[in-house]
Amino acid sequence: MPGPLEGVRIVEMGQLIAIPFAMKMLADMGAQVIRLESTGRLESYRSDSVYQNDVSGEFWNKGANFYEQNRNKLGVTLDLSKPEGLQILKDLVSVADLFSENFTPRVIKNFGLEYEDLKKIKPDIIMVSSTGYGFYGPWANFGATGPATEGAAGLAYQTAYIGGNPVMAEIPYTDYTSGEHTVFAVMAALMHRLRTGQGQFIDISQTQATSSTIPEILMDFSANGRSGPRMGNQDTAMSPHGCYPCQGDDRWITIAVATDGQWQAVCRVLGQDGWAADTRFEDSLSRWKNRGELDALIGPVTSSWDAHDLMHALQKKGVAAGAVFDSKDLLFDPHLGARGFYEVVTHHDSTGIPPLPYAGRPWKLSKTPAVPSKAAPLMGEHNTLILSELLGKTANEMAVLEESGIIGYGPITPRPVQRPSLDEQVRQGRMQRYETDFEEQVRKAFRG
Amino acid sequence: MPERALEGVKVLDLTHHISGPYCTKLLADFGAEVLKIERPGGDPARRMAPFLNDEADPEKSLVFAYLNTNKQSVTLNLKTDKGIQVLKSLVKESDVLVENFSPRVMASLGLDFESLQQINPGLVMTSISNFGQTGPYRDYKAADIVEYAMGGLMYISGAYDREPLKHAFNQAQFKAGTDGAAATLMATYHQRLTGEGQQVDVSIQEAVATGLRDVVNNFTYSGAVRRRQPNHSGDLSRLRASADGHLIPNPGIGAGLNWNSMVEFLDLPELADEKFDSPSARLVNAEELGRILDEYFIKQNKYERFYAAHEKRFIFGVIQSPEEVMADPQFEARNYFVDIGHPVLGTLKYPGAPFEMSGTPWEARAAAPSLGQHNQEVFGQRLGHSSEQLVQMRALQII
Repeated sequence: MPGPLEGVRIVEMGQLIAIPFAMKMLADMGAQVIRLESTGRLESYRSDSVYQNDVSGEFWNKGANFYEQNRNKLGVTLDLSKPEGLQILKDLVSVADLFSENFTPRVIKNFGLEYEDLKKIKPDIIMVSSTGYGFYGPWANFGATGPATEGAAGLAYQTAYIGGNPVMAEIPYTDYTSGEHTVFAVMAALMHRLRTGQGQFIDISQTQATSSTIPEILMDFSANGRSGPRMGNQDTAMSPHGCYPCQGDDRWITIAVATDGQWQAVCRVLGQDGWAADTRFEDSLSRWKNRGELDALIGPVTSSWDAHDLMHALQKKGVAAGAVFDSKDLLFDPHLGARGFYEVVTHHDSTGIPPLPYAGRPWKLSKTPAVPSKAAPLMGEHNTLILSELLGKTANEMAVLEESGIIGYGPITPRPVQRPSLDEQVRQGRMQRYETDFEEQVRKAFRG
Repeated sequence: MPERALEGVKVLDLTHHISGPYCTKLLADFGAEVLKIERPGGDPARRMAPFLNDEADPEKSLVFAYLNTNKQSVTLNLKTDKGIQVLKSLVKESDVLVENFSPRVMASLGLDFESLQQINPGLVMTSISNFGQTGPYRDYKAADIVEYAMGGLMYISGAYDREPLKHAFNQAQFKAGTDGAAATLMATYHQRLTGEGQQVDVSIQEAVATGLRDVVNNFTYSGAVRRRQPNHSGDLSRLRASADGHLIPNPGIGAGLNWNSMVEFLDLPELADEKFDSPSARLVNAEELGRILDEYFIKQNKYERFYAAHEKRFIFGVIQSPEEVMADPQFEARNYFVDIGHPVLGTLKYPGAPFEMSGTPWEARAAAPSLGQHNQEVFGQRLGHSSEQLVQMRALQII
């Protein structure tokens, strides 16, 4: 079944997450996304976190992050530093609905690929640029990573243990925040184009998108001139509200109590009649006032529980509680499984990677679901499909393009990132553990 | 008047708290007509801190004011037959209905998708919920911290040797609100092409679990379970303390970095060593590198290093306080913070456009509505109830 975006053609000059993630979401829903890559400047997600940490052979077709971000796309390599390469990009734009990119404005201006340039090629083109700080302004050409924009936006400042220093998640978090906004922005522009026939330029500032999700912090400063205290896992109203230890190494549960009834249920499940009768904790105001003491009492009790058992026991009594899921909990979670959240993707035979599950999408559309998942492209996998069939290049012209390095099928200078051994990663604390029978476990759960 | 991207899209907004209202705010801020249906007591977000001057007044919640710009508000008691009848007449003339009740609620009110589709076959109905409309956890309770935990972000956030730590405030709700707005438009796009409506099921847990990069793939690709990273890491993308705050001294992306130029910039000759000069070597010698960098940056000024680094095209980042964010020259050049006047809150600076659209700009047309501000206009002028009927509906606590 076609997705709702069938017929929408996107040319993507993306890298890493911010644009590739957003375009993947659109590809999942039926858009044709042509992902451009350079053989001279290898996308770093192709050269890192490769299957079984084995960087021999065509490692650039084995990177976990590349597969994660580029599902359902077509892959074309193009050397944009040569006029013929740039011309092919423009030819693609002339038959596209959307051009998307996440380089700095300097790069886009140097290539002559600004909206005003593309509009001359395709008057109703929609262009979306995603940059750290926005396409214009004094910081426009400052390159950025997720952590940098998380910092600039004001989110990192407020995320900290009580009285502690800022802390960030171990992923480029704001790439996703801005990617989610990018999908929305593109859809709004497509709606407008459908109605009026007009294209436009979308300027995504990853920092702005992120600041837009923290009104609790920014509105408080704006109205009251203050920065709230760093509260760790505590809440401004609920108590208990936190993350407590459970049985096992690095196992935890989160609990959030909103009502007195839920508090009584927590006391019953944990077998603590004394807490239930304690006047320090009798109502939400007193619990919140004495939240430090309360948190100190709860941890030693939860630590004799299995996190998942306690989650289910508390949820049965109507208490918001969730085990802190690690990668395995997520992958094998029965709820996500029942909803078909993970989609099994078959990889090209040449990669030696078996079919693997990948995270799907946070939405389900009843009439126009996502298209069946196809793996991210090998480098240059669709050069022929796109350049010959769509742009009409002859076999001869294709040969010349390959000869002159305009297109290619692997990096010019292969430089894989060799991760230390898993034992060393566990020793350094980067990984909690590893399991040697993982292939068996994944196969059993996802491929019978 | 500038063009609006979502001109003519009529949204019936049954949402409350954060995830649903952020979804409909995005729609409203880009031009959709959003009619917010509030229970007679009002959206509980009206009682959410922070308030202007800490005065807990339903018209003074700052988060409510932010989340409900450009919307109209009517009150309607959906626990009455007349209330349901009025709602259904509004469904008839809407393109989209968004709700974020617990999954059982809409059905218990007789407002399940099948019933509403009979009234309006083109209706797009978006439901945002904690765990989605199906599955064994469908009726589980949640708060943002629980979504963080069960969505997989919590485990990898915080200090290596402490309990996991969630992001401040309500990030999971905002993620799901954004996803909900995007998915709603996908369905509306299809509706505009074919006339066909459909149901959109958005799960907050999945909104979190969609954005984890390789957390799950670390296991499927190598059997490893990733955790919060140790402080002694030499990872250049990590936050480090400066004399006056924090910064992220990341020189640039991956394998292409010329290490010597970084060594020269920092003026730390001890780093000119093959122990550090490639990504692979830095991973092996992470602990030693981390110590050297920590000792260096604690003596530096964050903005001085940030601007100096960008002159060399090193992509350093800086941690900004709310005060620094609001004085940020980049935000200022882009007019990100906008003044919005509100009858009770007065004129305040609000975070503005999350992104810019050249043809159909983000707009602050109206401040958040007071509770039931548009009852007369919607029930009277639009649906044609007489003023007598409105008085009666008020007396019967329908509005």
